[in-house]
Amino acid sequence: MLSYALRRLAMIVPVLLGISVIVFLIMAMIPGDPALAILGSFATPENTAQLRQDLGLDRSLIEQYAVWLGNLLQGDFGRSYSLNRPVLDEVTERLGPTLLLAGASLILCTILGLAAGVVSAVRQYGWQDKALTLAVLVGLSTPSFWLGLILVLIFSVGLRWFPVSGMYAIYGGGGLTDLLHHLALPAFTLAVVATGVIARLTRSTMLEVLRQDFVRTARAKGVTERTVILRHALRNALVNIVPIIGIQTGFVLGGAVYIETVFQWPGIGRMLVTAISTRDILLVQGGVLVVAACYVLINLAADLIQHMLDPRIGT
Amino acid sequence: MTWKNGWRAACGTLLMLMALGASPASAQVPDDVLVVGQIAEPKSLDPHAVTATNDFRILMNLYDGLVRVRSGTLEIEPALAETWEVSSDGKTYTFKLRQGVKFHDGAPFDAEAVKFNFDRMLDGKHPQHDTGPFPLAFFFSAIERTEAADPRTVVFHLKEPYAPLLSNLAYPTGLIVSPEAVRKGGKDYGRKPVGTGAYRFAEWQSNTKVVVERNSDYWDGAPKLQAVIFRPLTDANTRLTELLAGGLDLMVEVPPDAVDLLGKAGGFKFHEQAGPHLWFLILNTREGPFKDVRVRQAVNYAIDKEALVKGVLQGTATVADSIVPAAFEWAHDDTLQPYPHDPDRARALLREAGAEGAELKFLVAEGGSGMLAPVPMATAIQADLAKVGFKVTIQTYEWNTYLGLVNQGLVGKGDMAEMAWMTNDPDTLPFLTLRTDALPERGGFNSGYYSNPEVDKLLLQARQSTDRDARAELYRQVQRIVREDAPWAFVANWKQNAVTTERVQGFELQPSFLLNLAHVSKAAQ
Amino acid sequence: MTATTTTLPAARPGTWARFGRNQLAVAGGLILAAVALLAIAAPLLPLPDPNATDLPNRLAPVFSAGHLLGADHLGRDMLSRIVWGTRVSLAVGLIAAVTAAVIGSTIGIVAGFCGRWVDGVLMRAIDMLMAFPYLLLALAIVAALGPGLLNALFAISIVNIPFFARAVRGVTVGLKRRDYVAAARLSGQGNLTILTGEILPNLLPVIVITFSTTLGWMILETAGLSFLGLGAQPPQADLGSMLGEGRSLLLVAPHIALIPGLVILLVVIGINLVGDGIRDLVDPRLASGGLVRPGPATAVACDAIRQQAGNPAAPDAILSVRNLRTHFLLNEERYKAVDDVSFDLRPGECLGIVGESGSGKSVTALSLLGLVPTPPGVIVGGSIRYRGQELLGLPLPKLQELRGNRIAFIFQDPLGTLNPLMTVGEQIVETITRHQGVTHAEALTHAIGLMDRVRIPNARDRASAYPHELSGGQRQRIGIAMALANDPDIIIADEPTTALDVTIQAEVLKLLQDLRRERDTALLFITHDFGVVSELCDRVMVMYAGRIVETGTTAEVLRDPRHPYTRRLMACVPVLGQPERALDAIPGLPPAVNHLPPGCHFADRCDRVIDRCRIGSIPLEDLGPGRSSRCIRAFEP
Repeated sequence: MLSYALRRLAMIVPVLLGISVIVFLIMAMIPGDPALAILGSFATPENTAQLRQDLGLDRSLIEQYAVWLGNLLQGDFGRSYSLNRPVLDEVTERLGPTLLLAGASLILCTILGLAAGVVSAVRQYGWQDKALTLAVLVGLSTPSFWLGLILVLIFSVGLRWFPVSGMYAIYGGGGLTDLLHHLALPAFTLAVVATGVIARLTRSTMLEVLRQDFVRTARAKGVTERTVILRHALRNALVNIVPIIGIQTGFVLGGAVYIETVFQWPGIGRMLVTAISTRDILLVQGGVLVVAACYVLINLAADLIQHMLDPRIGT
Repeated sequence: MTWKNGWRAACGTLLMLMALGASPASAQVPDDVLVVGQIAEPKSLDPHAVTATNDFRILMNLYDGLVRVRSGTLEIEPALAETWEVSSDGKTYTFKLRQGVKFHDGAPFDAEAVKFNFDRMLDGKHPQHDTGPFPLAFFFSAIERTEAADPRTVVFHLKEPYAPLLSNLAYPTGLIVSPEAVRKGGKDYGRKPVGTGAYRFAEWQSNTKVVVERNSDYWDGAPKLQAVIFRPLTDANTRLTELLAGGLDLMVEVPPDAVDLLGKAGGFKFHEQAGPHLWFLILNTREGPFKDVRVRQAVNYAIDKEALVKGVLQGTATVADSIVPAAFEWAHDDTLQPYPHDPDRARALLREAGAEGAELKFLVAEGGSGMLAPVPMATAIQADLAKVGFKVTIQTYEWNTYLGLVNQGLVGKGDMAEMAWMTNDPDTLPFLTLRTDALPERGGFNSGYYSNPEVDKLLLQARQSTDRDARAELYRQVQRIVREDAPWAFVANWKQNAVTTERVQGFELQPSFLLNLAHVSKAAQ
Repeated sequence: MTATTTTLPAARPGTWARFGRNQLAVAGGLILAAVALLAIAAPLLPLPDPNATDLPNRLAPVFSAGHLLGADHLGRDMLSRIVWGTRVSLAVGLIAAVTAAVIGSTIGIVAGFCGRWVDGVLMRAIDMLMAFPYLLLALAIVAALGPGLLNALFAISIVNIPFFARAVRGVTVGLKRRDYVAAARLSGQGNLTILTGEILPNLLPVIVITFSTTLGWMILETAGLSFLGLGAQPPQADLGSMLGEGRSLLLVAPHIALIPGLVILLVVIGINLVGDGIRDLVDPRLASGGLVRPGPATAVACDAIRQQAGNPAAPDAILSVRNLRTHFLLNEERYKAVDDVSFDLRPGECLGIVGESGSGKSVTALSLLGLVPTPPGVIVGGSIRYRGQELLGLPLPKLQELRGNRIAFIFQDPLGTLNPLMTVGEQIVETITRHQGVTHAEALTHAIGLMDRVRIPNARDRASAYPHELSGGQRQRIGIAMALANDPDIIIADEPTTALDVTIQAEVLKLLQDLRRERDTALLFITHDFGVVSELCDRVMVMYAGRIVETGTTAEVLRDPRHPYTRRLMACVPVLGQPERALDAIPGLPPAVNHLPPGCHFADRCDRVIDRCRIGSIPLEDLGPGRSSRCIRAFEP
């Protein structure tokens, strides 16, 4: 198990390296000059050239990449020129809120998705199944950015149950209650699509597992239906569901871009959108790398959980 | 079915959590704290490093300049300098500084501090020059050297007479930072700013808030508010929603359509102030149909500006007539009339020029400082131009990309481009954007390649003249020539707006577009 | 679609008919057809120019004169823009999906077919694409190419390539190993011919499934990019950019953002419904009847309970079954799996039920405690009495009290019947704690004792092993230990030795025999192997096509079988441990239990058949105490 984890961990490095190359290449293709972006309406050829030199933009792409990589190995992510601060500072500051949002969504979509899927499977063709299937379908088909707008309209503006935006109350905020209060709407909005995916998968996997012989064995032992469903069937279904939850992380992290925009969540997704548009290469590099690393690690965690759940998979 | 109870328990817990979240837990904002809705996260709080009006709104409350714009006008009045003298050749400015002023970090404000500020920006060899870049340093490029004659006397020696210097000193780029703090903060000074202003910097949480606190030793009278919180809310809709939900006391750049809504909601005060702003279309006079002045004029006739400011901008702007906004009362030629909306005339001009059915590529920004509603404006203009036979294709860009693109000149990129400027002096806009010496290849912003030796000469004269009336006359001439030559389509002058809750008192929008909160207070609830 | 139907020979009568039966898919199809029709017909409809601005009418509300759906912030007609915008969104989504499908499938096929380093390189690249958060990659691509609908389309396609590549590669690798591909290769066909002729057609289902499941997603994503201002450029509208434009007016004129959002929702719901329908059709697993979950207990038809009267139970029997009828209801067909079965089981007795597969012997056993899966199984009549208590219609909790406690099961195929994720010790413990109310530690000690008893070496260690870590014989012993856990009165063993090899089979049988003697437990032993019956059973009951055809003591039946079927079964089972070879020796197949012929069900395979055999129903003739046969010639020598 440990050696497997370490082996998988080692495989992450080349993947991240590849990602950084891709990002660098893509960013190099983006039209527009960061020096111009910094200087804004007041750029002149002289100060632009000076700035390009200061930023090292006059060097070749390979040189730029090598310098970046060298610094990275020393823990230096470089300095964001659009924000005028170290990339690492900004990225770490932004990563927390995103992970919080994505984490809350993942937990929410896992709980809701599993619950809906299990109920749906157990009550197959019953009214609960039909209602849940319909709800899941609508959830899967909803543009999350649109849903976010509507939820704000109803729950924040109309009913005033939840705050409109941000992560903490602007004055005297802080604390878990305040955070949950702010987290509820964005986390829910972000979770809707993933909930649908997980619910569907859970339903079909549960239906498959419930047909298997060991479920009949469990029933023949006289254990209650609750034990049959949760202890026997669901646990076996989880073996197939957990990796998909891992993959959902990618969609949740992607969807966070919209949700962070709609709810003004101070996360990394929104930072990256801005960074891409201002051609802040180092910030994009740092941000994408960190997000990708999180994604890969979460998937690794999902794999390890799958390993823990299923003794049959060799380590 | 016993397992059902498990789900019931789970659902119950979830609901409880939601309910917990839904209970209004956070403390109310107290009566002496003002919350301001900003349109974006500030880039830096170093006044010399930024260019955006949005950032200036915070900076004006943290720092002072040597001079400032008198409230409600565009006139200059003393600030950190009590008096000043200009030599008769217009090349030496001597400022007597206010005594007893201290920076927020306790360091004294004196002539050396002033010299540090200008040397840092202008002298490439200054030890703190690397804390830049300083994009607006050219505002002071006329300064040859700064001299601290004695602790309370600063002398600027100019290379040549430069009339706009005082207005530029009153601009946020002229705000004075604490040398001590810059030395300490280095490149990160912009996140730990220290000035002499009415409020001192307290805290900056990225993308959440910038908090400034009352400076009880403020030389111009301590503010009544204990603190001001600036919240970056990039999305106009969120900003509005926050205002309605009670999360903001003051919001700037109110979307025109929201004005009605806020009126209906009640409890809000609407503020409006015309300012030196111009929204225009740069026309590519070097290639394509706009080489012909008749086609350029035709565009000016074809656009229904009245409908634009009333319809799209909902009356938050007025129709522009030429290059100098009416807010510069002393320099504006009041006899000028905007191009009327006259599609027939436009068609006739096009027929004459043989440019009927010309295809135009229109560069449009998605947002940006002073750009108002760039995409709807562009779409409406596109429709207007279609009525006189132009075929216009729109290409939108993110603001910074857009600036990079347009500032390099329109050749090979498009036939026309949206642009907006907010300035502090009638000199700035034409000097930077219409002179032959300001062509993109020469480092200026003349992206449409307009070139008229007469205009060049007049502008140079105007900036070197120390007599304001004489300058005014020169600018009026420029306005008339430029209106006729139509290097741009002149569209609108924005009336800056803001909304406050009714509790906010003493708030006033400034023609300078700057936000001064030193004398604002909030009534108890 | 035609391609998929032709590639599926298994698509039984009317693929379309089956699609038509899926009401949700039809609803989705209708939605989609309506939307698509509107979009395609947009130029022909009497709609105003979608780009004509009309500032005086800006933000006109819904249902205002001239603007059915209102007007936007430039006074443009919303209805017209929605119709034209839907057209754009659908086209972009469709083209993006097709592009992604073509490129992704090509990569997948090449990687899967070439294998080795090509596979390695391509799949690592795909992994890398997938390690990117989906939307960020799209954003970066659009940023690089510049905003625009076409570029958004590219971005969406690129981002979706991995899904196709992965799915297709997986199936290709599988197909490559198939016999017919090898055969084609041997016959000298080139790679290209094999790819297009043999592999591609078989890939179509997976491509179609991936396509239908990603299409909706792609439309959402395109809308998302447009929402962020990176897609459609004004004045052109797609649904996403309309939503984006309307967003800033959400409070002032909500309809401008709400309507495009609703249309997106509707379109994507339609696509997903149709996609599900297609998947159900194309996916061979789902096509074969669909996945149905069995309920906790077999359904008992209401009138079944009413028929319980009469048929008194034998006084000395611990279990009395009378006229048991268990049917399967599948696709409006009735399969009479168990029909009118009656028997008694006395304490300490071993009764064997013998028959071919499909004879109804297992269903009979499973019916006793309601373990026949419902759907499709239903007990439609009869009576099952345990110690005089009627089990049919017993509430589930009471039934669960008996299961594994007083009546225990041992199943065939010990690998599938043990929970793969629980240690075997834990699985035994579960039975004990369920019925004995002891602590976990006590139960574990008991479980290890049981494992010792069924002669699992090193029981204490093995208790923490998982089923896959044990040999087949050991797993079967675990099954037996589990059945013994609560000292049941009756053990029902359903072919417990079939999956085992000969020596182990013998050991397990001996074990069962010993245990039965030791504890005086009644044993209901189900098998198709007369060899096994002769070793173990006191009495035997032969079943054919859901009915009992002969009963008697083992000795008598072996000595003098009175049904041709029994005779045939016995005749061809001389070798212990090779039952399959033996059963093949009976010519013909048992009749389908949904279309049983009149008369004797065995008639078609019987070598003693006479005309009379095919008339009327053949009763079970009593041949003396505990002896009967369902053959009109039972008295003939």
